[in-house]
Amino acid sequence: MNKLRLIARLDVKNEHVIKGIHLEGLRKVGDPVELAKKYYEDGVDEIVFMDAVASLYGRNNLFDIISRACEKVFIPITIGGGIRDLNDIELALKSGADKVAINTAAIRNNNLIKEASRIWGSQCIVGSIEAKFKAKGKWEAFVDNGREETGLDAVDWASKLVDLGVGELMVTSIDMEGTKKGFDIELLHKINNSVDVPVIAAGGYGRVNHIIDLYETSKISGVALASILHYSIDTCASIKHELNINDINVRVL
Amino acid sequence: MKKVAVIDYGLGNITSIMNSLNYLQASSFLTKDYDEIMMADALILPGVGAFKVGMANLEKFGLVQVIKDFVQTGKPFLGICLGMQMLFDESYEFGVTKGLGLIQGQVKELPVNDNSKLPHISWNEISESDLCLWKNTILDTGYKKDVYFVHSFVGIPLNERAILATSRYGDTLFCAAVKFNNVYGTQFHPEKSGKYGLDILNRFINS
Amino acid sequence: MDKLKAYYGLPSEVKFCTRCVISNQRPSSTVEFKNKAGEKKQVIDFDENGVCSACRFHEKKEEGIDWQKREETLWRLCDKFRKNDGSYDVIVPGSGGKDSAYTSHVLKYKYGMNPLTVTWAPHMYTSIGWENFTNWMHEGGLDNILYTPNGKLHRHLTKLAFHNLLHPFQPFIIGQRIIGPAMAARYGVQLVMYGENQAEYGNKVDENNIPTMDTKFFSVDNNMEMNLGGLTIKEILESTDFKIGDFAPYMPMSNTELMAKGVEVHYLGYYLKWDPQECYYYAVENTGFKANTERTEGSYSKYSSIDDKIDPFHYFTTLIKFGIGRATYDAAQEVRNGKILREEAVALVRKFDQEFPKKYFREFLEYIDTTEDEFWTTINKHRSPHLWSKEAGDWKLRHIVTNL
Repeated sequence: MNKLRLIARLDVKNEHVIKGIHLEGLRKVGDPVELAKKYYEDGVDEIVFMDAVASLYGRNNLFDIISRACEKVFIPITIGGGIRDLNDIELALKSGADKVAINTAAIRNNNLIKEASRIWGSQCIVGSIEAKFKAKGKWEAFVDNGREETGLDAVDWASKLVDLGVGELMVTSIDMEGTKKGFDIELLHKINNSVDVPVIAAGGYGRVNHIIDLYETSKISGVALASILHYSIDTCASIKHELNINDINVRVL
Repeated sequence: MKKVAVIDYGLGNITSIMNSLNYLQASSFLTKDYDEIMMADALILPGVGAFKVGMANLEKFGLVQVIKDFVQTGKPFLGICLGMQMLFDESYEFGVTKGLGLIQGQVKELPVNDNSKLPHISWNEISESDLCLWKNTILDTGYKKDVYFVHSFVGIPLNERAILATSRYGDTLFCAAVKFNNVYGTQFHPEKSGKYGLDILNRFINS
Repeated sequence: MDKLKAYYGLPSEVKFCTRCVISNQRPSSTVEFKNKAGEKKQVIDFDENGVCSACRFHEKKEEGIDWQKREETLWRLCDKFRKNDGSYDVIVPGSGGKDSAYTSHVLKYKYGMNPLTVTWAPHMYTSIGWENFTNWMHEGGLDNILYTPNGKLHRHLTKLAFHNLLHPFQPFIIGQRIIGPAMAARYGVQLVMYGENQAEYGNKVDENNIPTMDTKFFSVDNNMEMNLGGLTIKEILESTDFKIGDFAPYMPMSNTELMAKGVEVHYLGYYLKWDPQECYYYAVENTGFKANTERTEGSYSKYSSIDDKIDPFHYFTTLIKFGIGRATYDAAQEVRNGKILREEAVALVRKFDQEFPKKYFREFLEYIDTTEDEFWTTINKHRSPHLWSKEAGDWKLRHIVTNL
């Protein structure tokens, strides 16, 4: 059985990791590099740094943080938020990121993904989707960190992203994000079923049961954790231990 | 202190490799220069991206010969991910492209028969094969942990003795590492595989 | 060049705070039922360093106040008013937004009070507003009385307020301020607790050295002389079919009556260090509050004032009259509370402040029985020359906040 990846997601604003609810709110919870290191040592499989305010202020701040994190953290690092063009992607990869997550820019310009995967390969490009529940079986894709509607169906958009060349999808449920009440299983199942690339579930993790329930329905490739880790409610090591007991294969240190 | 040269040809997550080498306190440098490369104690060919582009860049920067010359010296050489794939004769990604030909065999898409996803992005276990034991190789760390893979293509050595390690994805067994004399290749990324990966790199630097 | 005329007696030179992004045109809180067209507005103070009084007040909040002591005072206040016989002992006015959700919940579950929340109905509930309102009770575990004033008059007053004062929110503000004390008097409760103090946002700083709201905001001595929508009640009665009884919701209690009943109106923000963002988190975690799915028009926020469809027009008219819109208000507050930097606030204001709230525009026009042409005529009448200029047929603000 393939191993489920546990991914720490750090939303960053300036020098701080912040944690919102429903992608809103800027409460500071720690230092990005220190937290990344802590989670790495605790056995997390990957780190995702998201610039939470790049689209609001029209600038990128994370490259410096990534460079510093890469000196101490030897697991894959993804950077997202405000990646607008090929230049940004290049800078991101040069500063040490293994993958870039793109949302808004891909919707505004489909060609960006095509070009980027042609130049750097699809394994570097993660399609990031922020999905909000609209009606039974329907979710809408949002951009700008959950601020603006697009009118696009999230599930259709997921397939489109894969056609354009992304190597992986990270799907965040805006409804569940920050609530610790569980994943949007239906959304994830639908998307995971309709694409051939790995899918990472984000938004809503609160207890190990949430992963177990999700995995029972859909064999997603990874889950992103934020609140639980940042508020020190649980640790990666203990979550993995629980998962192992419940027959879900994970990497152990 | 060992001098480790890392080939700079425009592809690959250079920063991660350099960071891990620094962490291991190797004296490492990024280069395309013939003399600098030949003077190094060990040579690494990183790589992330398409085979075609990788080979084109190597040719563009005139690096194909120096790699072959270096390998001739018997000093340790390591190809990582795409770097390992380019060691082979040819690849079938986007048509047929010729490789460095240092390891006999071909590069083809990883066959997945069940619902496994591609690219293969995951931590996975590697296994020793009877025909190529780990003792005295870079994988001889005294323990084993999962390593990080991210790829859609795999190298298939013609000579089974070149298979240093295998791994399993879904139903498929594939070649995870190769060794042919002083030439090593890892499909996985040791610089991204936590402490275990660093230990493997360390063994490489000191071999 | 001739000095440009400044309406409402606003300062003719436009300045922006060097710390946050508010401008010196920002009006202080008004006693709404004395509000007449063309009156001079009190504005926020700026000191000799160009720092606004709200920022100065915030400095004090951070360093000059012993919050532990203040909280002890709150406990004593609660001890004084707490009734252990099951009856209500504090009125918390609000709509179930983050501030009233926090205030009511913390009073009940931390300070052991028995609050009755009272809501002066928004003009037109948004669906997220209604959801948050009901969750307030169902998930937050609070009692509530929703008071909805006669819609016919409320709409008429809103229309008058819009055209005479360019202040469509006035009837709502009046109601919101008087409902607390009015309900307190009716239910035999003496303590009314609002959330934050207006001084946070730039009223006279001295007003925040006391915990209570000035009675001038919620009581009058002569009802007939009250101004609503820029007219006195007498004038409205004379020109319409409304009867005096229709105005019952807007009649505040007299000062004498309130004093006789022992009603006191306090601000929780005096006793507990107020942080709107933390109220958001608290409300999500405790009363089922949800941020809006989309950004509020005219700003970047998703959780501030999202329950009334008229609300965006309140801020839009503020933009017209004073040159600053919703993004300015939201961003200034977040700068003071250390959530964003001034530079970031500037970027946000420049990006969102002047956005026209088109989502509920049609509904708003219908609500105030005004055509689009009439709407713009009124709007344009209120653009003060010292703030607006017309260039090639387009109105442009003369001054927009910039980086220092």
